Amino acid sequence: MSTANLPIVAEGLQRYVGSGDDQVKAVDGVDLRIEQGEVFGFLGPNGAGKSTTVRMLTTLLRPTGGSARVAGFDVVDEANEVRRNIGVALQDAAIDPLMTGAELLKLQAVLYGLPKAQHSTKAGELLERVGLTAAGDRRVGTYSGGMRRRLDLALSLIHEPSVLFLDEPTTGLDPMSRISLWEEIRRLNNDGTTVLLTTQYLEEADQLAERIAIIDNGVIVRKGRPAELKAEVGSPTLFVSVDASVTDGAKVLLEGFGDLRPSAEGTLGVGLDDGPAAVSNVVRTLDEAGIAVKNLELREPSLDDVFAEATGYRLEGADT
Amino acid sequence: MTVSEASVLTPRRSPLAQSSLAQTWAMSKRSVLALWRQPSLVVPSLIFPLFFAALGTSSFSRATSLPGFPEVDSYLDFALAGAVAQGVLFGSTVGATALATDIENGFFDRLLSSPSTRSGIIVGRMAGGMVFGGAQTLFFILVLLPFGLSIKGGAVGVLAMAVGGTILALAVGALMAAMAIKTGSSEAVQGAFPLLFIGLFFSSAFFPRETMSGIYGSLADINPISHLVEGFRDLTIEGLSASAVIRAILIPAGLSVLTVALALRTLRSRLGAR
Amino acid sequence: MTALDDTRPELSKNPQRNAATTRVWPASVGLMRRSLVNIVRLPSAFIPSIMMPIFQAIAFSGTFFAIIQIPGFPTDRSINWFLPLGVVMGSGFAGIGIGFATIRDLEGGFYDRLRLTPAPRTSLVTGPLFAALVRSAIVTSIVFVVGSLFGARLTHGPLGLVPLFIAGLGIAAIGTGWGLGLAYRFRDMRAAAIMQLTFFLLIFLTEAQTPLFIMEGWLEGVTRINPFNNVIRLSRLGFLDAPMTWDNTWGGLLALFVFAGGTLLFARRGLAKLSDV
Repeated sequence: MSTANLPIVAEGLQRYVGSGDDQVKAVDGVDLRIEQGEVFGFLGPNGAGKSTTVRMLTTLLRPTGGSARVAGFDVVDEANEVRRNIGVALQDAAIDPLMTGAELLKLQAVLYGLPKAQHSTKAGELLERVGLTAAGDRRVGTYSGGMRRRLDLALSLIHEPSVLFLDEPTTGLDPMSRISLWEEIRRLNNDGTTVLLTTQYLEEADQLAERIAIIDNGVIVRKGRPAELKAEVGSPTLFVSVDASVTDGAKVLLEGFGDLRPSAEGTLGVGLDDGPAAVSNVVRTLDEAGIAVKNLELREPSLDDVFAEATGYRLEGADT
Repeated sequence: MTVSEASVLTPRRSPLAQSSLAQTWAMSKRSVLALWRQPSLVVPSLIFPLFFAALGTSSFSRATSLPGFPEVDSYLDFALAGAVAQGVLFGSTVGATALATDIENGFFDRLLSSPSTRSGIIVGRMAGGMVFGGAQTLFFILVLLPFGLSIKGGAVGVLAMAVGGTILALAVGALMAAMAIKTGSSEAVQGAFPLLFIGLFFSSAFFPRETMSGIYGSLADINPISHLVEGFRDLTIEGLSASAVIRAILIPAGLSVLTVALALRTLRSRLGAR
Repeated sequence: MTALDDTRPELSKNPQRNAATTRVWPASVGLMRRSLVNIVRLPSAFIPSIMMPIFQAIAFSGTFFAIIQIPGFPTDRSINWFLPLGVVMGSGFAGIGIGFATIRDLEGGFYDRLRLTPAPRTSLVTGPLFAALVRSAIVTSIVFVVGSLFGARLTHGPLGLVPLFIAGLGIAAIGTGWGLGLAYRFRDMRAAAIMQLTFFLLIFLTEAQTPLFIMEGWLEGVTRINPFNNVIRLSRLGFLDAPMTWDNTWGGLLALFVFAGGTLLFARRGLAKLSDV
């Protein structure tokens, strides 16, 4: 079938940096098909190619190879049509500290070509929607991190985009603000907006995203519904802490129960092939070898495990 | 960067005096290295004064016969002192801009929470500029010699000028540091740089005071830069004299005391304002 | 566009969608206002930029007061000679200041926000350009008023202000194009140093300090072939004893036109290349 009506399609998207021996393949052949009305989670370690991909999809960066269509338009040849139909909230991009929130929204309305009569009403509506009405006439320099993030979201909504890119929208927010932002994202999604969300919080992806993709070293290494991906990992993970002196011995014994999995420093992780029932055997085996267990934790497969299995490391601050 | 960061984060083990000396030393090394690594910021302060000296020599050679001009072989001999003052003033903004950048990115706050003394931080930040100020003086003399510059004061005269240049760099560097601390904006420091030009132009850096008239001449008379430039100039066009050496060295030294005090006061009020 | 809409029925739910087009003029005005607001709200940078050309005009005419005594000097007031130079410098920095602000936007990421909007790319250059022109007009007016208080006189009546303002606006445009183009290429403060250095060279390798007939040596040759010297001459037309004639004017206008066109094109191409890095 045609992909022309999908909100985001990327085919073999590439971005190489430098040339010759120094050439780095920041993004090396990414394929994405994001459905209408979906919340799509885009995950990956820092430097994996996540933000490079987003910059290409949002027309900020020209791809080295491959192609992408966003909102039905080619990101290179029809960049301006793409811009007109997408909203982008950028975590890294500073918001001009000398301007007020209302001034920035009005400027945004001008730049998106909204009729002049709508500028003030639209700015007022959006300020209210993100709870910044009282702060609208204050300079952004005086805003807190959470307020800037909400203004950022408001700025990206001025033209009612059909596709929304949210780059780590809740990084650094307190739990309350995070949950209220999640609600806002769900509300937008219910209104029919397609959302591509990059995040370093796996719980966030689990909560919001219908499908996710994990990118590592410029290549997509996992793609699918969170539940399916978790099922693929299959067996639960047992985390065992032992004394550093006997780690090597414990490793050999644990390998008898399944594959070793990435884990935090000072802890060993093993995927139990026989499921939770094997825990008692593990304890007995270690005990017989004279290895004292300091701590034991059994975890059902989570997105964290999917991520760890796909990329070889766990995200810092990953939710369990 | 790593050198100074490591030492800043080291917990205090020794008495304050010793530790602050080490801190100042680390800061100094950092500021010297910073200058070395940013040629695009440093090179203009080497090129511009030479450029203006060359420009003046070509523009004003016929002006040296006007009444009020001292007896000189060429405008170039007359211009050297102004070029040195101008170069040091230019160069001093580099360190202050770096300081403002430190404030912008938060490194400066980390430094202040370390046990270094406040004056150690300021002087350390200026050390790169001081080394550079002395080097600039020698550089201008060396470059202009093949173009017909002659220094009547000889080797001792050159040495006196290098010392004067070094101390002048501290004086101006500390003034700009005060500006950096007050605004915390590197753009504002760059923007304040024309103010230095004003100090330079309301002086005898480019033309003799004797040719100026009215209020302008009076302002140049009371501008300390006039007198230190004339100290440098007398060492160049007249020869070695105690009066010239004193003006070339003591005037910048006196200015340094004032501007370092100003920088420390600004720092205190910045800390107090939080 | 309608053909594409047919293939994307889901996206056409909202009839307003895709309908708006951003035009160059309103987008430019919006961006100009933003630039001006940012200039005015950073007084520690704004005030020196107004004061510097005033002081420069006064300082040069005070320091080099004696040069009017050289026989044949084209005016008997040193402020008349140096006031237009202050306007030239102030207007140049009005343009280059746009370059500084853009470097800050590029470093902080605000520029990404601007590039994400469908505003015509041209408006990202013309918006700041308008701001620089406004700033140049303000600087020129202030320098003229203050210079007059210090004794400057229009030797051929008020018409002499026209070439002064034209020169100022033109140089602001050149400074904007050059400043933006370098900002886009370097994207950090290195560009600021290059902007200043090159602009100083451009302005001073001319009759900025003394008229051609007084010069001796290398500068004379350079000034003769520097097309920008015509711009300096243009700015001074209303303040010298020599009559204002078309012969003295057209060279400056042509130089302004070529320089401004070239640098603004340089900026526009640099902007297009931003998405390559």
